Amino acid sequence: MKNFLNVFTTGFKYCWRDPVSVAVLTAFPIVLIFVLGNALAGFISPEYDFEPIPVSAVVEPGGSLETFLQSGEISQFLNVMFTDRENAGELLESGDTFITVIEEDGEVSVIRPAGGGTTSQVAVSVIDSYKQIGEAMTIAAMNGENPLELLPLMAAEISVTVVPLGSRVQSATDYYAVTMLVMILLFTGMNGLELFKKSMFSETGARVLISPVSKPALVGGLLAASTVTSYIQGMITFLFSMFVYGVYWGENIPLVLLTLFGVTLFSQAFAITLLLIFKSPNATMGMMQAFIWVMTFVAGGYTKVNFGAAQAIFNYSPNSLAHTVIFGSAFGGNEQRMMTDLALLFIYVAVLFIIAFLLGKRRLTS
Amino acid sequence: MILSMNDVVKRYRALTALDHLTLNLQKGENLGLLGPNGAGKTTAIRVLTGLTGADAGEIRLFGKELRGSTATAIRKRIGLVPQDLALYETLSARENLEYFGKLYGVYGAELNKRVDLALEILGLSDVAKKSPKKFSGGMKRRLNIGCAVIHKPELLILDEPTVGIDPQSRNHILDFVSEINKQGTTVLYTSHYMEEVERVCSRVCIMDAGRVIADGSVEEIAKSAIFEETITLEVKEPSPSLEENLRKIQGVVRCSVENRAVTITSTAGSGNLARIIEIASPYVILGVSAQRATLEDAFLALTGKKLRDGGEAS
Repeated sequence: MKNFLNVFTTGFKYCWRDPVSVAVLTAFPIVLIFVLGNALAGFISPEYDFEPIPVSAVVEPGGSLETFLQSGEISQFLNVMFTDRENAGELLESGDTFITVIEEDGEVSVIRPAGGGTTSQVAVSVIDSYKQIGEAMTIAAMNGENPLELLPLMAAEISVTVVPLGSRVQSATDYYAVTMLVMILLFTGMNGLELFKKSMFSETGARVLISPVSKPALVGGLLAASTVTSYIQGMITFLFSMFVYGVYWGENIPLVLLTLFGVTLFSQAFAITLLLIFKSPNATMGMMQAFIWVMTFVAGGYTKVNFGAAQAIFNYSPNSLAHTVIFGSAFGGNEQRMMTDLALLFIYVAVLFIIAFLLGKRRLTS
Repeated sequence: MILSMNDVVKRYRALTALDHLTLNLQKGENLGLLGPNGAGKTTAIRVLTGLTGADAGEIRLFGKELRGSTATAIRKRIGLVPQDLALYETLSARENLEYFGKLYGVYGAELNKRVDLALEILGLSDVAKKSPKKFSGGMKRRLNIGCAVIHKPELLILDEPTVGIDPQSRNHILDFVSEINKQGTTVLYTSHYMEEVERVCSRVCIMDAGRVIADGSVEEIAKSAIFEETITLEVKEPSPSLEENLRKIQGVVRCSVENRAVTITSTAGSGNLARIIEIASPYVILGVSAQRATLEDAFLALTGKKLRDGGEAS
C-alpha cells in the first residue's frame, strides 16, 4: 500500500506539473468551447441540421388540421403520414414515426412515447403552434374573414425551437461544451500514456522496474494518478463551462459526472491497452489520436454517418454513448437508452482493463 | 560471490548480443567493464538486473537467481545508474531522491536524513527544490547517481555514468564511486573511457562482441596483451657501431637511429634497460624514455579496435 501511494503521489505530481498536459487538456478546451459556442455558432449550429420529422396523423378529412399539415411551410418540418388509428399506433411503436397527431371532435391531441428525445419535442412544438393558430382563426372568423385562407400565411410564421424539459433552450455553447469535454477526456489517455512511458518504458522506467516495487502497486499507482489527474482536468473545464459560460448540464449532475468519469477511465484503459499491444509509446500515441479524431468528428455530432453498418458502429463509439447520456439527461432523452449506453461505456472500460491485465501479466512479469 | 553470470547468451534476432558471457564479481570489488559501443555491456546489465531475459546460461545475484519470491529481496540490495538520465524532470531533485528511496522501503526520518546527506555529498543542496530540467549536464548526472544509492545498495551498477559531462563533474563522480567502494559497496562500472576505469577500478574485464576477452588488473591485462616494449635514448653523436651493439642484446627486435634518437624495441618483459644503458655509456646520454604499456594498447592489441569510437584500428 505504501508503494502504491508513493507511485500515485509521484505520478500525480508528474502529470500535474506537465505544462503540455495542462495547456492541451485544460486551457485548450475552455478556449475552444468559447470559440465554437460563440464565434462559430452561426456556421455550424446544430439547431438547423435536421430532416423533416416522420409523424403520423389521424385527422378529420377536409378539416383545418389537415390543411395545416399539408401546407408547404409545415412540410419543411414534418413528414406527415395520414392514416387511421390502428396503423398510427403501429408506426409509433415501430419507431417509424416520432409522434401521432389525433383530431377528434375538434380536439387535437398528441401521442408521444415516454422519453422521446429532442426530435419528438420539435414535432410537438409544431403541433402546439397549430393550437395557437386556432385561436387566431377563431378571431378571424368572428371578423367575417375566411379563416382557412389565413393558414398558409400563419404557418409561415412558425419557427422551430427545441424546448427541452425545464423550458431550457439548448444553445450552441451547451452543445459544444459537451462534445468538447468528451473529446478532451478521451485525449486524457495521453496523461496515462506519458506516465506509463516514463515509469515503465524508459531509462527511468528501467530504474523503477528493477526496484522492489510490485507490479500491481506500480501499475495501480500509475493508473490511479493518471485517472485522477485527467478527471480533475476535465472537472476544471466542466465547472468553468457551467459557472463562467453558463452551460446547461441538466439537473442530474451526478449522472453527468459519472458519465465523464466513465469516459476518463475508458481513455486511460484504451491508452494502456494500446501501449501493451504495440509496446511503443509513439505508435500508441498515433493510434490513439487517429481513433479519437475519427470518433469525434464522425460519431461525435459534428458530422453524421448515415450509411448502414458504419452508422451502427459510430453510434456505439464512446463519444456517442457519452453524448446520448449527457444530452439525454439535460434535454429529455430516452432513459432506457441512456442507461444502456452508460452501462455499455463501463463495459468497454472493463473489457479494456481485462485485456490490459492479461497483456501486462504476460509482458511485464520478469 | 555477489554476482555470477555463467555462459549467458542473449540474441536479438540475428544479432548475438551476449555470446556465452561469463562474469564474476566478488564482494567489495570495483570491477570495470570496458568495451566499445555494441560490445554488449548494456545488454549484460539489462540481463543481470532482470530487465531482459537471457536465452541461455545462469545468472546469480547474491548467490540466488533473480526470480520468484527471492527477487524482491535481491532487488533491494541493487542500485542501478542507467546510461541515460533516469529522472522525473517535473519533480524537484529532493522529490526524485525521496521517490526512489521510498520505492526501496526507506521512509520517514531515515529517508530525510539520507536525502539531505546525498544532496550534500553530490553538491546539490542549494538546488534541492529545483527541477532537474534547470540543471547542468553534470548536476543531472550526479542526481542520477544519488537516486541509485539513496537506499544504500550492496551492489551498485553504473552504466557509463559520465557520458557528456564536464571534467569537474566527472572528477566528482569518480571520487564518489571510489569512496562508496571504500565504504564496502561492490561496484560494477561500465565505460568506454579507459582512464576512468584505470582510475576507479581494481579489476577490469574487456568485452568485445558479447564476450569477455580479458580479465584482471590493469597491469595484468597490459602485460598479457602487449608483446613488445620500446626504449628511446637521446644520445649526442650516435655512431653506427652503437646501433650494431644494441641489436646484439638478447630480446631486441629492432633498433633504429635518427639524428640523436636511438629507438630500441624489445620483446615484452625482457628487462634489458640496464644492458642498453651500459652499452650506450661511452656516449653522452641526454635522455632516456620507456613507453609504458597502457590499457588502450592492450585493448587495441586484443580487439584490433580503438576503444572510444569502436572503429577498426588503422
